[in-house]
Amino acid sequence: MAGLDGRVVLVTGAGAGMGRSHAQILAARGADIVVQDIGEPSARETAEMVLSAGRRAHVAVCDVSDGEALTAAIEEAVVALGPIDVLVNNAGIHALTPFDEIEEAEFDRIFAVNVAGSFNAAKAVLPGMKARCRGAIVNVASTSGQIGTPNDTHYCASKGAILGLTKAWAKELAPWSIRVNAVSPGPIATEMTVRNRGWEGIRERAEKEIPLRRYGMPEDVSHAVAFLAGDGASFVTGQVITLAGGLAIVGI
Amino acid sequence: MMDGGTHDRQLAGRVALVTGAARGMGYHHARLLAERGAKVVLQDIEAEVASKAAEDLRAAGGAVIAVSGDVGDEEDVERNVAAAEAEFGPVSILVNNAGIGKSGKTEETTEAIFDRVFNVNLRGTFLMTRRVVAGMKAARYGKIVNISSRFGQVGAAYSIAYCASKSGVHGLTKAWAKEFAPWNICVNCVAPGGVWTEMGLEEHGGAEGIRRVEQTVPLKRWAQPEEIGYAVAFLASPESDFITGQVLPANGGATITGI
Repeated sequence: MAGLDGRVVLVTGAGAGMGRSHAQILAARGADIVVQDIGEPSARETAEMVLSAGRRAHVAVCDVSDGEALTAAIEEAVVALGPIDVLVNNAGIHALTPFDEIEEAEFDRIFAVNVAGSFNAAKAVLPGMKARCRGAIVNVASTSGQIGTPNDTHYCASKGAILGLTKAWAKELAPWSIRVNAVSPGPIATEMTVRNRGWEGIRERAEKEIPLRRYGMPEDVSHAVAFLAGDGASFVTGQVITLAGGLAIVGI
Repeated sequence: MMDGGTHDRQLAGRVALVTGAARGMGYHHARLLAERGAKVVLQDIEAEVASKAAEDLRAAGGAVIAVSGDVGDEEDVERNVAAAEAEFGPVSILVNNAGIGKSGKTEETTEAIFDRVFNVNLRGTFLMTRRVVAGMKAARYGKIVNISSRFGQVGAAYSIAYCASKSGVHGLTKAWAKEFAPWNICVNCVAPGGVWTEMGLEEHGGAEGIRRVEQTVPLKRWAQPEEIGYAVAFLASPESDFITGQVLPANGGATITGI
């Protein structure tokens, strides 16, 4: 069973980390990928990976917080690959700053990318999804938005907002059979995490804090994205899948 | 139906036990797990229906046996799991699906009804899990998928024992996730909303009744049983190895509570 055969998936922030992993795993399952990223060289690298998996790729270089540029880039992508079937709102930025030191500009920038970026991308793909009465949107939240983390005010708030978007869109877009869900990654050993913490630091925290005693790998998250993107989740909408090795057990 | 992955033989070498698997959703969970390569034990209180279901799945190429008993009865559980182990080896995937409901006003709910619902839905889940977990610990790998219900999340009138027992299943899921995590055993839960099964048809007085309530669901429909099966299969697969303690609601948007 080849799950996402021929579906066109737009992954934002697909030039590195989890976004790149989503692009690779979705391509391995038969999807064609619009690789959106702010950085052209990294986006091209991801696109090469998609091509070598035998799928089509289109590179869309822009800042997701710039709605006009993103809309134009998506229009080009649709001409190249066809209408977008699935949107993965992955682009996000992060800054560790104590609350009383966060400048307004830093707060705004986090929200511009994480929240407005997701809003802009969804708005751009929505007319096509509505016209075809089908579509899936997978938003990438974070356990930080569910349970909070210190020195992370703006990021936590932005990821909490993603959960709000997810639920509101799920209800608003259901009449067009457009499903909207979120994945919520906890501790994941992305390249950036490995660089910042080192494997020793990762092991230490895993043993102390994570019930499964390991960090997740980016592909753990990608498999959940793929599940929510595919028809296996055809009755799942408005929901959050938390990937945290048991660290955040909050859903009811 | 395309379910988002290439899953052929993904569960090869795994032994799955599905309770309440003779019909309805349980049958579809078992069918999907068998299609993906697991050896599957159909457990059900109805011996004949379970045997027939196992025959059908074997005819389709699955390695499947049926065992019969009451999940709420410790001796039956022991007998059923021992038979499963004798045939296929230790259970690595347990789907606690067996469940019953009985609607009625609280004043008219007898202790016998209350106890019976709890015995199957909650005690059955406890007894089965307690029996198989040693094998999972020894293997340092296991997948437990409990089936609760949207009603266990948000309640429903005239269904107290069912609602309370299904909320209890959420409690078991979360406590076990934390307790068993050191052995790399993931415990999760699927919370279905409305599903087109015989049980659903009976409760709503036929298809017309279901069609009326379907209008209250954001996706404007109830699920086919296999749509719940795909969620179960995902949580039974290595693709969900970092997910534990979670409730995955499949309800067409009828209840949106996850935080």
